[in-house]
Amino acid sequence: MPSFRNRFHDEILAYSFLWPSLLILVALLIYPLGEVIRLSFYDSNLQRETWVGLGNYAALMDDPLFWQAFGQTVVFTAASVALHLVIGLGLALLLNMQLNETFRSLARGLLIVPWLLAPTVAGMIWVLMLAPFGVFNGLLARLGFIDINFATSWLGDPATALGSVTAMNVWRAFPFFMVMLLAGLQAIPKHLYEAADIDGASGLQKFWHITLPQLRGVITTIVLLDSIWTFRAFDPVFVMTGGGPAHSSEVLATVIYFDGFQKLRFGYASAEAMVMFIVLFVVSAIYVRRTMSKEH
Amino acid sequence: MLMPATEPAVVSPYYLGLRNRERLMRLLAYGLLILAIVIVFFPLAWMGTVSVRPNLEVTKMPPDWVPEVFTLEPYAKIFSSPRYLVVFANTMIISLVVTALSLVLGATAAYALARFRFAGQRAVLMFLITTQMFPLVLLCIPYFRIFITFGLYDTRTALVIVYLTFTLPFCILMLRSYFLNIPRDIEEAAMVDGCSRLGAIFRTLVPMSYPAFIGAGLYTFLLAWNEFLFAVVLIESWGNRVLTMAIYSLMAEFVTEWNMMMAFSVLASLPLVVAFIFLQKYMVQGMTAGALTS
Repeated sequence: MPSFRNRFHDEILAYSFLWPSLLILVALLIYPLGEVIRLSFYDSNLQRETWVGLGNYAALMDDPLFWQAFGQTVVFTAASVALHLVIGLGLALLLNMQLNETFRSLARGLLIVPWLLAPTVAGMIWVLMLAPFGVFNGLLARLGFIDINFATSWLGDPATALGSVTAMNVWRAFPFFMVMLLAGLQAIPKHLYEAADIDGASGLQKFWHITLPQLRGVITTIVLLDSIWTFRAFDPVFVMTGGGPAHSSEVLATVIYFDGFQKLRFGYASAEAMVMFIVLFVVSAIYVRRTMSKEH
Repeated sequence: MLMPATEPAVVSPYYLGLRNRERLMRLLAYGLLILAIVIVFFPLAWMGTVSVRPNLEVTKMPPDWVPEVFTLEPYAKIFSSPRYLVVFANTMIISLVVTALSLVLGATAAYALARFRFAGQRAVLMFLITTQMFPLVLLCIPYFRIFITFGLYDTRTALVIVYLTFTLPFCILMLRSYFLNIPRDIEEAAMVDGCSRLGAIFRTLVPMSYPAFIGAGLYTFLLAWNEFLFAVVLIESWGNRVLTMAIYSLMAEFVTEWNMMMAFSVLASLPLVVAFIFLQKYMVQGMTAGALTS
């Protein structure tokens, strides 16, 4: 008869290796999550707390700024992810052609560089480039699109602020898609294309019927991941526009930050954070299900 | 290959022939890639040229492509001021400590997940994957209060601790997937030869998975080096600031010294770019692993 020690030998050993990490992560993630849930039912400036029940959530429903930020977050996310995908796929396809090996790895290396930069640093460069005196206006003036004396402040105009932040975000983060899709392209078996060549398929046909279906798994994964990352992004907006002008580039992360750390309405900010958490949780659940089903 | 019996007699003048067409396509690919590199590098080049011109020249309209006056003064200012140098030191120390802790803790947890079957394994994996999706701004609210309570607000220790929330799960998942590909027989053979379990791990598994350690380590370092939100919320005094925050606060000053800010940005990006040049292979591995492991 196996003794208790033998039966649970693996369990004991496994958890003796696991517990430090698990302890840290539970303390740093689960406990704070519980704290935010609790706070969302209070009116709190972190010193005085009054129970308000669902008051924060009720107020949230009627808060036009919150829903405006929500909508803008969705637009920002959708535009960023779509452009990441188009640009990343285009460049990956180019890099996957029969090129000189040195040129290929050099080009790939150079194109990854923006992704190494901190969003803060990348944001600052773009703030400078998009300023009224910036090089972007200078370029447009030189090409004759605008009059130099009426230069636009791209980040100061409500019509262009969010678009400008999106442009920066596309520039900084497309390499992730490019690298992932290039790896995906290189994993497609060559014989599929050879068979299509024998059947006389055109380049476009091969792309639609072989390349895209073969890349579907990678594309779904990176689109889900990028959606989650962009949806929760704080740095680009905070650094470039601070959510302005007139909240035209406000996203959920900045709204929550300002409500909490500037207006000191921590209960309300917690309720907002819970809405954001639930949205992210749903998307994450899809992602987790996908990865876990690959697991066994 | 057999030629079809009915060869077209007249070849269209637009028909370039397969070989020429392929050559043209390839030329087009080179051209487009070079164009892409130029466009992508433009903001980086701009950062570089602004960092070596006097600040007065930065706001000139229309801007000069090449600085009229070349000066290294912004760099000299940064390197001669302890106020700025401390920021570099802070960022370096924090990033290195976070990386070391994540790798050590991550490797231990990854070993458990890769080598044992135990109750709760799936739940632990699912938890680790989900943690990477947490909205970080949500965590700021409780962290702010908790760190004040424990007297850790405005300390570098606080940043090291909170950075583990996103670096540790990544390291665990990446190392685990690498460990899974290393046959356990090798460790068992070492154990038969008289090694303890820990001895076997350090003599076989760890040296064999060095690419994963380098990849995960570099990516962790990058995440810690570039983090901004927690630094804004948890650090107040200049002496404890990190680079991203310091660069941001330069903008908020009375007169924005763009040349200084760009010099700062160049210096902040340089370590990552240099590391990338030498360790590209591992870094790309870390990058792709972020999405493909788990």
